[in-house]
Amino acid sequence: AAMRSRAEVDATLQTAKLNPAELLPAVHCLSFGPQAGGGEGKNTYLLLCWFFFSSLVIRGEKDEHAVLCSKDKTYDMKIADTSNMLLFVPGCKTPEELNADPASCNIIHSQIAGFSNNYWELRRCRPKLKKLRKLLMEDPYEGPDSQKDQTSTFSKYTTEDLLSLVQASEEEILHQLQVIDACKIEGYWRILGFEYEMKLLNHVTQLIDSESWPLSKVPLCACLEELGSLEPREMIEHILLSYGRKYVDDAGEVFFEMREDKICRAIAEMLLQNAVKFNLSDFEEVWQQSVPEGMKTRLDQLKGLALVDKTSRPETILLLKVEDLPEDNQERFNSLFGIRQKWTEVDITPYIQDLCAEKQTVGALLTKYARSSMLNGVKVYNSRRPIS
Amino acid sequence: PCLSPSSSTGALAQWVLVELQGEVEPRQSGDLAGSLLGDLHYTREGVPVLIVGHHILYGKVVQLEKPFAVLVKEGGAPQPSPGGPHSCYTVTALIKTKLLFKTRPKPIITHVPKKV
Repeated sequence: AAMRSRAEVDATLQTAKLNPAELLPAVHCLSFGPQAGGGEGKNTYLLLCWFFFSSLVIRGEKDEHAVLCSKDKTYDMKIADTSNMLLFVPGCKTPEELNADPASCNIIHSQIAGFSNNYWELRRCRPKLKKLRKLLMEDPYEGPDSQKDQTSTFSKYTTEDLLSLVQASEEEILHQLQVIDACKIEGYWRILGFEYEMKLLNHVTQLIDSESWPLSKVPLCACLEELGSLEPREMIEHILLSYGRKYVDDAGEVFFEMREDKICRAIAEMLLQNAVKFNLSDFEEVWQQSVPEGMKTRLDQLKGLALVDKTSRPETILLLKVEDLPEDNQERFNSLFGIRQKWTEVDITPYIQDLCAEKQTVGALLTKYARSSMLNGVKVYNSRRPIS
Repeated sequence: PCLSPSSSTGALAQWVLVELQGEVEPRQSGDLAGSLLGDLHYTREGVPVLIVGHHILYGKVVQLEKPFAVLVKEGGAPQPSPGGPHSCYTVTALIKTKLLFKTRPKPIITHVPKKV
């Protein structure tokens, strides 16, 4: 379409009975640009309510809600409809800008780049990390002697693969990989099969015992030397990193301060796996005997791993891992109330702590998803809805 | 899926949002591309005035509390949601200002032609 001339603009003003003296001299003649209007072959525009500036990624497979990830955070994307039409105009000046620049052009031919009747808003959300563990558990690493790896047809995942499949930011994913003690084997992220992991841990704890090393000062070099013939050196180092805190002494030698709580917890898991439920006092006895010399077992080491029932006679304990529970809030609560009708805050907290959004408390979650009552003078929580 | 900053020069282009009531439809049943929308004037007090067809719209300049980013996905078939394994958006511009036209359009009444 031909561009409008000053004469045409003035004629329109006259017809509209607007007084040019009351207007700024510059006029924007708005027309739709070649890409506006959408359709085949045209650009798709998306308006996003934005409050930071950095590189972003939109993630989500077909059946997942889209999330937007910055380098270190994850946001839900929510569409907000407006009954109005939103046109985006490049190069359109505000009155201030026009006043500030008196030499500005008299006619500005502005092309509308695109338009929309909705926009997207971001809301910080928990990264969806459960899938990460699920992907890596498809093919846990069982050690070099395992036949599985050679013949395995399962997918193995590189960092890039995980970034494209998991709805979380890069930093959140890398952090979670560390939390779950994943390691890179031949360029792929792997999680150790529990049996193999315990085998490695056992090698180390037995060596610590036979060498009478203090638990706070386990030498890396000696471990690699003594155990190198039994297991790959990378695996020995990996297990030390998983269950110990690495440090370097003044002489430059690498040591590990073994993590008592984590080791006791792993051994408890090994024991609890073997039956549905245990007599609590029997378990505590066997557990203490099973941990390395010098370590003390405590029930609070098992938060989010095991559930103690103090109301049954005798008292019992069973394996209940928070990472095996649903990721969605409502589903998680349904699952927990299906396992036990009434929970004290102390008992339920380890199983809902990970659901807390930024600045949200466990108390707030309980208020939203549970109903409280008193039982024998103690506050307990149960489901808001009837459990079938 | 990916989204990248538009240019390596750093600063994002600043665009303006024009918010209108109702829908925008081409006069002829053709494509909107290339067709005129109208003339945008400002009064000396800074009030935006938009003349669209036979209507005058008065609006106001609003500084957005939360700016908008304009993301663009090049060409191709439009997708209903931004997700999907191959969606790649570029951050193309930032919008901090909008011209909000909420008032009912005032029709422009032209002279009634004299009967011949």
